[in-house]
Amino acid sequence: MASSCSQALKQHVCKSSTILRVHLQKSWPKRSFVLNSAADQQPAVSSPEEIVIPKKKTWSKEAVLQALASTVSRDPTASDYRLQDDPYLTPKTSSEFKLFSLSQESGKNAAKYFINTYPKYFQKDYAQPHIPCLMPETLEAQIEEVSEAALIERIHMRKVKAAVDLYDQLQQAGTPVSLDVTNQLLDLICFYGDSDPAQENSDEMAQENTLSYHKRSPCLVFSFRENNNAERIFALLSEPNTHSYSALIRGMVKYGAYSKAFSTYTDLLNNRLKADVNTFNALITAAPEVKEKYNEKWELIVDLLKELAEQKIKPNLLTLNGVLKALRRCGTLGKSQAFPVLSEMKALSIGPLKTHSHAFPIMLCSAGAPFLGQTDILQEVMNEVSGKSFTPQDPDDGICLLLQRCLLTKDIEQAYSVHELLGVGENWRLLGNDLQQNIYYARFFSLLCMMENIDVMLKWYRDLVPSVYYPSSNIMRDLLQALDTDNRLDLIPQIWKGDRGKVIMSWTATSLSDVISVLLAAQRRQDAWEILKLFKTHNRVPSEELLNKFLTCVTESGEVNHAVELVQISAGFCLPETPKLIQRVQQEFQLSEQQK
Amino acid sequence: MATSLVRQTKLLSIVSSQLNPAACFRNIHCTAACLKNRAARIREGKGDKSVTYEQAYHPHHIGHRKGWLSQHTSNLQGEDGAAERVVEDVFIRRFMYGTFHGCLADEVVIKRRGNLLVICAVMIQKLLPSKFYFLIGYTEELLSHFYKCPVKIEMQTVEEKVVYKYL
Repeated sequence: MASSCSQALKQHVCKSSTILRVHLQKSWPKRSFVLNSAADQQPAVSSPEEIVIPKKKTWSKEAVLQALASTVSRDPTASDYRLQDDPYLTPKTSSEFKLFSLSQESGKNAAKYFINTYPKYFQKDYAQPHIPCLMPETLEAQIEEVSEAALIERIHMRKVKAAVDLYDQLQQAGTPVSLDVTNQLLDLICFYGDSDPAQENSDEMAQENTLSYHKRSPCLVFSFRENNNAERIFALLSEPNTHSYSALIRGMVKYGAYSKAFSTYTDLLNNRLKADVNTFNALITAAPEVKEKYNEKWELIVDLLKELAEQKIKPNLLTLNGVLKALRRCGTLGKSQAFPVLSEMKALSIGPLKTHSHAFPIMLCSAGAPFLGQTDILQEVMNEVSGKSFTPQDPDDGICLLLQRCLLTKDIEQAYSVHELLGVGENWRLLGNDLQQNIYYARFFSLLCMMENIDVMLKWYRDLVPSVYYPSSNIMRDLLQALDTDNRLDLIPQIWKGDRGKVIMSWTATSLSDVISVLLAAQRRQDAWEILKLFKTHNRVPSEELLNKFLTCVTESGEVNHAVELVQISAGFCLPETPKLIQRVQQEFQLSEQQK
Repeated sequence: MATSLVRQTKLLSIVSSQLNPAACFRNIHCTAACLKNRAARIREGKGDKSVTYEQAYHPHHIGHRKGWLSQHTSNLQGEDGAAERVVEDVFIRRFMYGTFHGCLADEVVIKRRGNLLVICAVMIQKLLPSKFYFLIGYTEELLSHFYKCPVKIEMQTVEEKVVYKYL
């Protein structure tokens, strides 16, 4: 009876579970776990007859690496990935960091020199598949005879002087050189300014000399001489076309010959040729240099823009950025004109406001910032750009300008949103090179010191130092001040220890005296004594006011021995203060005979 | 051939012993000198010679008290290239010894992970850090181009050579 009952029970349970399962399967939607690229795929159709084969996913070669990278975030306790993980080899300041990374780069350059000078030892190829970047480079031009192909090769290898010589040889030999190749040659000359480029071996160098047509060469050693090669070759051209004119004009603007650029532009118009966007960009950049007064500058720019419109050329981001930059030079007039320009940009859907085309018009803010003094612009921009990923297109783009704006207005919320922006996607590139990064973090820290309380401050400190940022002395001073005001001087050892580790810090007189005054203020007299002794060991001289302060502190505590020791120390240093100190001690203490 | 040689040796020793029964046996030494008993061992001396941990323990302690100085997979069954790895290792050790001359505190450890060659070295803090970085950049670049694989150096510094005992 029991068995039959249990059997009936079992059957009942089985039936009910199957019913439950069927119901559940019907009610739950079909879940499919897909990764981002397949998000728009159609899920499988539920009817049993049709089987829909899903589309084949193609992954890029680095997909696995990117997926792995997305699981890892920055380690705040480690220093930069380029450096070795050892206390002796870790930098403590940003100048040390730069020194170490540059010395590593120069070691690499030395190795590359050997590899390229003696290539026969590095020819054996173990790697399958072949790795081309690990083979020695051929730096000499291969094709020797005087021909157009040789000229093209030299242009590709960026040998300016050799290319020009070869071109002259070709002209003398009478071989016609095609217009395309001549245009390429003109581009090369105007880009490098008629001299061979310095060997761009290291990334550091390349970062600092961001070569672009819009940035003037920092050391104008070469200025567009009267009879230089570019103009000479240009004159030899029988029928220069748009490209040749544009190359020449851009070269002139890059190297400072602004008026010549404008005269070449008038030549272009006289020849009834059309200019292209890049030429106009160059001319707009050059416009503020040519005229003196603000309204003349603005009129020139307006004229150029009108001609741009007449020739039915679409302005791109760089055009409008150039206009904004030029407006900065236009003073008060620029303020009124900036807004219409911005609305133009919106209308033309350039920039992040309409499309997702990746460009970040920081010029918007930096141009707006000194003029308008309104925070709502910043707010608007931040609302628009938050959560989106950008790639910097204009080399002057930089996020530290945004942060400067926040600093000026002391707006901590904005600063946080700006910092968050850096975390999205590719935006870390907006930080720029090391110098810009330093400036950005210095501003961030000073804002934090000013506005936030000490716990938040320390949290950020632990997060950013020393992996990303090495605080300079004024930031450390701000930090100490903030600690002082908050009466949290006990936190100093934490910061100090984290900073210095086991390395012997080189004490300077001022830093020692600062530390002593801080410790005295915190009533830690014992520690202050020990540090005073350090003065002797490190051959530094304490200042007078420090000794006075110390004496006041000692008198409060009433320690006669300490006072006498203090006088002895100052006598040891032969300070002029010594007699005064002796007087004070004699007045304020009852000294025994021995102590006198 | 070997058996005939052994037989000849035996004959020779029998003959010589019969000729001079009181003389000690002089045998012909016919194998190459291996000196397996003397490799990588520092003999005990007066007590003024300092040795590191690596030098103090003898080769039969490898796997028990010492680790391996060179780690790769060529010695597993079915893998080839062991001889090439050995030659590469020898070159790398000499290269490191010469490039960081006088700075090496202990033997260089070489690890291979896939394509990557990791050279782990312990250095004495004899040079400035910037000079260390110069040599690190130089070594990494040169060896990468030489062996056509990425080479990384992991360096650790100590103030002086770590002495384990005095022999």
